[in-house]
Amino acid sequence: MDVEFRIKRFDGSKSYWQSFKVPVRKGMTVLEGLYYIKENIDPSLAFRASCRMGICGSCAIKINNKPRLACETQIMHLGGKTVTLEPLDNFKVLKDLITDFEGFFAKHEFVRPYLIRDDVDYNEPVELIQTPKELEAYYIFSLCIKCGACYSVCPAAATRDDYLGPAAITAAYRFCADSRDRGKEIRMDLVSSDNGVWRCHFAAECSEVCPKKIEPAKAIQKMRLASTFYMLKNIFR
Amino acid sequence: MAISGWFKVSGRSVFSLAFSFHRITGIILLIYLCMHLAYLTSLTDKTGQTYEGLIGVTVTPAFLAFDALLVLCGVYHGINGLRVIIHEFGLAYEYRKAILAISIVLILAVWLYASYVMYKLVVGG
Repeated sequence: MDVEFRIKRFDGSKSYWQSFKVPVRKGMTVLEGLYYIKENIDPSLAFRASCRMGICGSCAIKINNKPRLACETQIMHLGGKTVTLEPLDNFKVLKDLITDFEGFFAKHEFVRPYLIRDDVDYNEPVELIQTPKELEAYYIFSLCIKCGACYSVCPAAATRDDYLGPAAITAAYRFCADSRDRGKEIRMDLVSSDNGVWRCHFAAECSEVCPKKIEPAKAIQKMRLASTFYMLKNIFR
Repeated sequence: MAISGWFKVSGRSVFSLAFSFHRITGIILLIYLCMHLAYLTSLTDKTGQTYEGLIGVTVTPAFLAFDALLVLCGVYHGINGLRVIIHEFGLAYEYRKAILAISIVLILAVWLYASYVMYKLVVGG
Protein backbone atom coordinates (compact mmCIF):
# COMPACT_ATOMS: atom_id res chain seq x y z
CA MET A 1 0.00 0.00 0.00
CA ASP A 2 1.27 3.47 -0.91
CA VAL A 3 0.84 6.35 1.51
CA GLU A 4 1.40 10.00 0.61
CA PHE A 5 3.85 11.80 2.92
CA ARG A 6 3.07 15.54 2.85
CA ILE A 7 6.08 17.26 4.37
CA LYS A 8 6.45 20.91 5.26
CA ARG A 9 9.95 21.77 4.15
CA PHE A 10 12.15 24.79 4.83
CA ASP A 11 15.27 25.63 2.83
CA GLY A 12 16.58 28.43 5.03
CA SER A 13 14.56 31.21 3.43
CA LYS A 14 11.13 29.88 2.48
CA SER A 15 8.87 27.03 3.54
CA TYR A 16 6.86 24.91 1.13
CA TRP A 17 4.95 21.63 1.01
CA GLN A 18 6.24 18.59 -0.84
CA SER A 19 4.60 15.18 -1.28
CA PHE A 20 6.25 11.77 -1.57
CA LYS A 21 4.76 8.33 -2.23
CA VAL A 22 5.98 5.79 0.32
CA PRO A 23 5.31 2.04 0.05
CA VAL A 24 4.09 1.02 3.50
CA ARG A 25 4.14 -2.39 5.14
CA LYS A 26 2.55 -3.47 8.41
CA GLY A 27 4.43 -2.16 11.46
CA MET A 28 6.36 0.49 9.50
CA THR A 29 6.95 3.70 11.45
CA VAL A 30 6.87 7.29 10.25
CA LEU A 31 10.62 7.45 10.86
CA GLU A 32 11.17 4.46 8.56
CA GLY A 33 9.07 6.27 5.96
CA LEU A 34 11.29 9.33 6.29
CA TYR A 35 14.40 7.17 5.86
CA TYR A 36 12.80 5.57 2.77
CA ILE A 37 12.34 9.03 1.23
CA LYS A 38 15.88 10.11 2.13
CA GLU A 39 17.49 6.92 0.77
CA ASN A 40 15.35 6.44 -2.34
CA ILE A 41 13.72 9.70 -3.44
CA ASP A 42 15.24 12.88 -2.00
CA PRO A 43 18.53 12.77 -0.07
CA SER A 44 18.20 16.46 0.78
CA LEU A 45 15.30 15.81 3.18
CA ALA A 46 16.45 16.79 6.68
CA PHE A 47 15.12 15.29 9.90
CA ARG A 48 16.57 14.44 13.29
CA ALA A 49 16.69 10.87 14.64
CA SER A 50 18.96 8.74 16.72
CA CYS A 51 17.89 5.78 18.87
CA ARG A 52 14.82 4.73 16.80
CA MET A 53 13.26 3.30 19.98
CA GLY A 54 11.61 6.19 21.83
CA ILE A 55 14.44 6.90 24.23
CA CYS A 56 16.46 9.81 22.82
CA GLY A 57 13.54 12.14 21.97
CA SER A 58 15.27 13.38 18.79
CA CYS A 59 12.56 12.53 16.27
CA ALA A 60 9.62 14.47 17.76
CA ILE A 61 7.74 16.16 14.91
CA LYS A 62 4.16 17.13 14.18
CA ILE A 63 2.44 14.13 12.64
CA ASN A 64 -1.08 14.84 11.40
CA ASN A 65 -1.11 18.06 13.43
CA LYS A 66 -0.06 16.46 16.71
CA PRO A 67 3.47 16.23 18.14
CA ARG A 68 4.61 12.61 18.34
CA LEU A 69 7.79 10.57 18.15
CA ALA A 70 8.29 9.50 14.51
CA CYS A 71 10.00 6.30 15.67
CA GLU A 72 7.04 5.22 17.80
CA THR A 73 4.24 6.16 15.41
CA GLN A 74 3.16 3.42 13.04
CA ILE A 75 1.91 4.71 9.70
CA MET A 76 -0.99 2.28 9.49
CA HIS A 77 -2.19 3.25 12.98
CA LEU A 78 -2.71 6.80 11.73
CA GLY A 79 -5.32 5.65 9.20
CA GLY A 80 -5.91 7.40 5.92
CA LYS A 81 -3.84 7.59 2.76
CA THR A 82 -1.98 10.78 3.67
CA VAL A 83 0.42 11.56 6.51
CA THR A 84 1.18 15.22 7.17
CA LEU A 85 4.54 16.03 8.72
CA GLU A 86 5.65 19.40 10.06
CA PRO A 87 8.39 20.67 12.37
CA LEU A 88 7.41 21.31 16.01
CA ASP A 89 5.72 24.62 16.82
CA ASN A 90 7.31 27.15 19.20
CA PHE A 91 10.80 26.29 17.93
CA LYS A 92 12.84 28.02 15.25
CA VAL A 93 13.00 25.82 12.16
CA LEU A 94 16.53 25.23 10.90
CA LYS A 95 15.84 22.97 7.92
CA ASP A 96 12.80 20.89 6.91
CA LEU A 97 11.78 18.99 10.07
CA ILE A 98 14.79 20.03 12.15
CA THR A 99 14.22 22.67 14.83
CA ASP A 100 16.65 24.58 17.03
CA PHE A 101 16.76 23.06 20.53
CA GLU A 102 19.55 25.23 21.90
CA GLY A 103 17.24 27.49 23.92
CA PHE A 104 15.19 24.52 25.11
CA PHE A 105 18.27 22.75 26.48
CA ALA A 106 19.59 26.01 27.97
CA LYS A 107 16.34 26.34 29.96
CA HIS A 108 16.69 22.77 31.11
CA GLU A 109 20.24 23.44 32.26
CA PHE A 110 19.11 26.66 33.98
CA VAL A 111 16.97 24.80 36.57
CA ARG A 112 19.97 22.73 37.75
CA PRO A 113 18.65 19.30 36.76
CA TYR A 114 20.95 17.29 38.99
CA LEU A 115 21.26 16.38 42.67
CA ILE A 116 22.63 19.27 44.71
CA ARG A 117 24.39 18.30 47.93
CA ASP A 118 27.12 19.88 49.99
CA ASP A 119 28.40 16.65 51.55
CA VAL A 120 29.67 14.89 48.42
CA ASP A 121 33.02 13.25 48.97
CA TYR A 122 34.35 11.54 45.86
CA ASN A 123 37.17 9.89 47.82
CA GLU A 124 34.77 8.24 50.24
CA PRO A 125 31.46 8.01 48.43
CA VAL A 126 28.40 7.19 50.53
CA GLU A 127 25.37 5.40 49.16
CA LEU A 128 22.25 7.55 49.44
CA ILE A 129 19.46 5.30 50.65
CA GLN A 130 15.94 5.86 49.37
CA THR A 131 12.70 4.08 50.20
CA PRO A 132 10.33 2.92 47.41
CA LYS A 133 7.87 5.62 48.53
CA GLU A 134 10.53 8.31 48.19
CA LEU A 135 11.36 7.01 44.71
CA GLU A 136 7.70 7.04 43.75
CA ALA A 137 7.47 10.77 44.56
CA TYR A 138 9.55 11.72 41.52
CA TYR A 139 10.02 8.57 39.40
CA ILE A 140 7.43 9.32 36.70
CA PHE A 141 8.95 12.77 36.13
CA SER A 142 12.42 11.29 35.68
CA LEU A 143 11.26 9.57 32.48
CA CYS A 144 11.37 12.80 30.44
CA ILE A 145 13.32 12.33 27.19
CA LYS A 146 13.47 16.08 26.34
CA CYS A 147 11.70 15.61 23.01
CA GLY A 148 10.15 19.10 23.18
CA ALA A 149 6.59 17.91 22.40
CA CYS A 150 5.26 19.60 25.56
CA TYR A 151 6.99 22.90 24.79
CA SER A 152 5.69 22.89 21.19
CA VAL A 153 2.02 22.88 22.24
CA CYS A 154 2.32 25.23 25.23
CA PRO A 155 0.36 28.47 24.61
CA ALA A 156 2.42 30.22 27.29
CA ALA A 157 5.64 29.34 25.44
CA ALA A 158 4.06 30.47 22.17
CA THR A 159 3.77 34.03 23.44
CA ARG A 160 7.01 34.36 25.42
CA ASP A 161 10.37 33.01 24.34
CA ASP A 162 11.85 33.36 27.81
CA TYR A 163 9.25 31.09 29.48
CA LEU A 164 11.05 28.13 31.01
CA GLY A 165 8.44 25.75 29.65
CA PRO A 166 6.93 22.47 30.87
CA ALA A 167 10.00 20.25 30.41
CA ALA A 168 12.39 22.47 32.39
CA ILE A 169 9.93 23.04 35.25
CA THR A 170 9.19 19.30 35.36
CA ALA A 171 12.93 18.65 35.63
CA ALA A 172 13.12 21.18 38.47
CA TYR A 173 10.24 19.43 40.27
CA ARG A 174 11.76 16.01 39.67
CA PHE A 175 14.89 17.01 41.63
CA CYS A 176 13.05 19.04 44.27
CA ALA A 177 10.89 15.97 45.01
CA ASP A 178 13.95 13.75 45.32
CA SER A 179 14.68 12.95 48.98
CA ARG A 180 18.44 12.92 48.26
CA ASP A 181 18.48 16.47 46.95
CA ARG A 182 19.35 19.56 49.04
CA GLY A 183 18.92 22.21 46.35
CA LYS A 184 15.22 22.98 46.60
CA GLU A 185 15.73 26.60 47.69
CA ILE A 186 18.15 27.25 44.81
CA ARG A 187 15.66 25.90 42.27
CA MET A 188 12.74 27.70 43.90
CA ASP A 189 14.52 31.00 43.31
CA LEU A 190 14.99 30.04 39.66
CA VAL A 191 11.41 29.00 38.89
CA SER A 192 9.43 31.40 41.14
CA SER A 193 9.17 34.12 38.54
CA ASP A 194 6.88 35.46 35.83
CA ASN A 195 8.77 33.45 33.24
CA GLY A 196 8.76 30.41 35.50
CA VAL A 197 5.87 28.63 37.20
CA TRP A 198 3.69 31.76 37.20
CA ARG A 199 3.69 31.91 33.42
CA CYS A 200 1.74 28.64 33.11
CA HIS A 201 -1.96 29.14 32.29
CA PHE A 202 -2.87 25.50 32.78
CA ALA A 203 -3.94 24.62 29.27
CA ALA A 204 -2.66 21.11 30.24
CA GLU A 205 -1.90 20.33 26.60
CA CYS A 206 1.66 19.38 27.58
CA SER A 207 0.32 16.38 29.50
CA GLU A 208 -1.91 15.40 26.60
CA VAL A 209 0.92 15.14 24.06
CA CYS A 210 3.75 13.80 26.24
CA PRO A 211 4.87 10.52 24.59
CA LYS A 212 6.07 9.22 27.97
CA LYS A 213 2.84 10.18 29.81
CA ILE A 214 4.83 12.17 32.33
CA GLU A 215 2.14 14.76 33.10
CA PRO A 216 4.30 17.92 32.99
CA ALA A 217 1.24 20.06 33.84
CA LYS A 218 0.94 18.22 37.15
CA ALA A 219 4.59 18.86 37.98
CA ILE A 220 4.17 22.56 37.17
CA GLN A 221 1.11 22.89 39.43
CA LYS A 222 2.90 21.10 42.27
CA MET A 223 5.91 23.35 41.74
CA ARG A 224 3.62 26.39 41.71
CA LEU A 225 2.07 25.40 45.05
CA ALA A 226 5.54 24.89 46.52
CA SER A 227 6.56 28.25 45.06
CA THR A 228 3.57 29.94 46.75
CA PHE A 229 4.66 28.69 50.19
CA TYR A 230 8.28 29.49 49.43
CA MET A 231 7.45 33.09 48.43
CA LEU A 232 5.16 33.56 51.47
CA LYS A 233 7.88 32.22 53.74
CA ASN A 234 10.36 34.68 52.24
CA ILE A 235 8.06 37.62 53.03
CA PHE A 236 8.10 36.79 56.77
CA ARG A 237 11.77 35.94 56.91
CA MET B 1 3.67 32.11 16.84
CA ALA B 2 2.83 35.04 19.14
CA ILE B 3 -0.74 35.60 20.36
CA SER B 4 -2.21 33.34 17.66
CA GLY B 5 -0.71 30.52 19.77
CA TRP B 6 -3.46 31.13 22.33
CA PHE B 7 -6.11 30.22 19.81
CA LYS B 8 -4.52 27.22 18.12
CA VAL B 9 -6.95 24.33 18.53
CA SER B 10 -6.30 22.20 15.45
CA GLY B 11 -4.94 18.82 16.54
CA ARG B 12 -5.19 19.82 20.19
CA SER B 13 -7.20 18.33 23.03
CA VAL B 14 -10.36 19.67 24.68
CA PHE B 15 -8.14 21.38 27.29
CA SER B 16 -6.66 23.69 24.66
CA LEU B 17 -10.18 24.44 23.48
CA ALA B 18 -11.16 25.31 27.07
CA PHE B 19 -8.07 27.53 27.36
CA SER B 20 -8.80 29.32 24.07
CA PHE B 21 -12.43 29.99 25.08
CA HIS B 22 -11.18 31.27 28.43
CA ARG B 23 -8.95 33.79 26.65
CA ILE B 24 -11.66 34.83 24.17
CA THR B 25 -14.30 35.29 26.88
CA GLY B 26 -11.78 37.18 29.02
CA ILE B 27 -11.05 39.59 26.17
CA ILE B 28 -14.79 40.08 25.46
CA LEU B 29 -15.51 40.74 29.16
CA LEU B 30 -12.61 43.20 29.37
CA ILE B 31 -13.84 45.13 26.33
CA TYR B 32 -17.40 45.13 27.72
CA LEU B 33 -16.18 46.30 31.14
CA CYS B 34 -14.18 49.16 29.60
CA MET B 35 -17.17 50.24 27.49
CA HIS B 36 -19.50 49.93 30.49
CA LEU B 37 -17.27 51.99 32.80
CA ALA B 38 -16.45 54.55 30.11
CA TYR B 39 -20.15 55.10 29.44
CA LEU B 40 -21.18 55.30 33.11
CA THR B 41 -18.38 57.69 34.07
CA SER B 42 -19.18 59.94 31.08
CA LEU B 43 -22.78 60.50 32.25
CA THR B 44 -23.21 64.08 33.42
CA ASP B 45 -26.97 64.14 33.27
CA LYS B 46 -28.10 64.22 36.93
CA THR B 47 -31.74 63.52 36.06
CA GLY B 48 -30.90 59.97 34.93
CA GLN B 49 -32.74 60.42 31.63
CA THR B 50 -29.70 59.57 29.48
CA TYR B 51 -29.14 56.36 31.44
CA GLU B 52 -32.81 55.41 31.26
CA GLY B 53 -32.74 56.13 27.53
CA LEU B 54 -29.90 53.64 26.99
CA ILE B 55 -31.59 51.02 29.18
CA GLY B 56 -34.75 51.56 27.13
CA VAL B 57 -32.80 50.61 24.00
CA THR B 58 -30.66 47.76 25.40
CA VAL B 59 -33.14 45.99 27.66
CA THR B 60 -35.33 44.91 24.76
CA PRO B 61 -36.07 41.59 23.03
CA ALA B 62 -33.79 42.67 20.15
CA PHE B 63 -30.80 42.84 22.53
CA LEU B 64 -31.67 39.63 24.38
CA ALA B 65 -29.38 37.45 22.25
CA PHE B 66 -26.41 39.76 22.94
CA ASP B 67 -27.21 39.76 26.66
CA ALA B 68 -27.40 35.95 26.64
CA LEU B 69 -24.02 35.73 24.90
CA LEU B 70 -22.52 38.18 27.39
CA VAL B 71 -23.84 36.10 30.28
CA LEU B 72 -22.37 32.99 28.62
CA CYS B 73 -18.98 34.72 28.52
CA GLY B 74 -19.24 35.64 32.21
CA VAL B 75 -20.48 32.22 33.34
CA TYR B 76 -17.89 30.35 31.25
CA HIS B 77 -15.03 32.57 32.41
CA GLY B 78 -16.09 32.30 36.04
CA ILE B 79 -16.71 28.55 36.27
CA ASN B 80 -13.78 27.59 34.04
CA GLY B 81 -11.62 29.96 36.08
CA LEU B 82 -12.60 28.13 39.27
CA ARG B 83 -11.71 24.82 37.60
CA VAL B 84 -8.27 26.16 36.67
CA ILE B 85 -7.74 27.54 40.20
CA ILE B 86 -8.51 24.11 41.72
CA HIS B 87 -5.83 22.51 39.53
CA GLU B 88 -3.39 25.36 40.11
CA PHE B 89 -3.49 24.49 43.80
CA GLY B 90 -2.22 21.08 42.71
CA LEU B 91 -5.58 19.48 43.52
CA ALA B 92 -7.59 16.83 41.68
CA TYR B 93 -5.23 16.84 38.73
CA GLU B 94 -5.90 13.17 37.96
CA TYR B 95 -9.60 13.92 37.61
CA ARG B 96 -9.11 16.85 35.25
CA LYS B 97 -11.17 15.34 32.42
CA ALA B 98 -14.13 14.61 34.70
CA ILE B 99 -13.88 18.08 36.29
CA LEU B 100 -13.84 19.71 32.86
CA ALA B 101 -16.94 17.74 31.87
CA ILE B 102 -18.72 18.74 35.11
CA SER B 103 -17.71 22.37 34.53
CA ILE B 104 -19.21 22.34 31.03
CA VAL B 105 -22.49 20.87 32.33
CA LEU B 106 -22.56 23.51 35.09
CA ILE B 107 -21.83 26.32 32.62
CA LEU B 108 -24.66 25.23 30.33
CA ALA B 109 -27.11 24.81 33.24
CA VAL B 110 -26.33 28.24 34.76
CA TRP B 111 -26.33 29.94 31.37
CA LEU B 112 -29.67 28.44 30.29
CA TYR B 113 -31.28 29.33 33.62
CA ALA B 114 -29.91 32.89 33.50
CA SER B 115 -31.11 33.26 29.90
CA TYR B 116 -34.57 32.04 30.92
CA VAL B 117 -34.70 34.58 33.76
CA MET B 118 -33.65 37.38 31.40
CA TYR B 119 -36.22 36.26 28.83
CA LYS B 120 -38.97 36.40 31.47
CA LEU B 121 -37.77 39.84 32.57
CA VAL B 122 -37.57 41.36 29.11
CA VAL B 123 -40.31 39.59 27.17
CA GLY B 124 -42.54 38.71 30.11
CA GLY B 125 -44.91 35.78 30.26
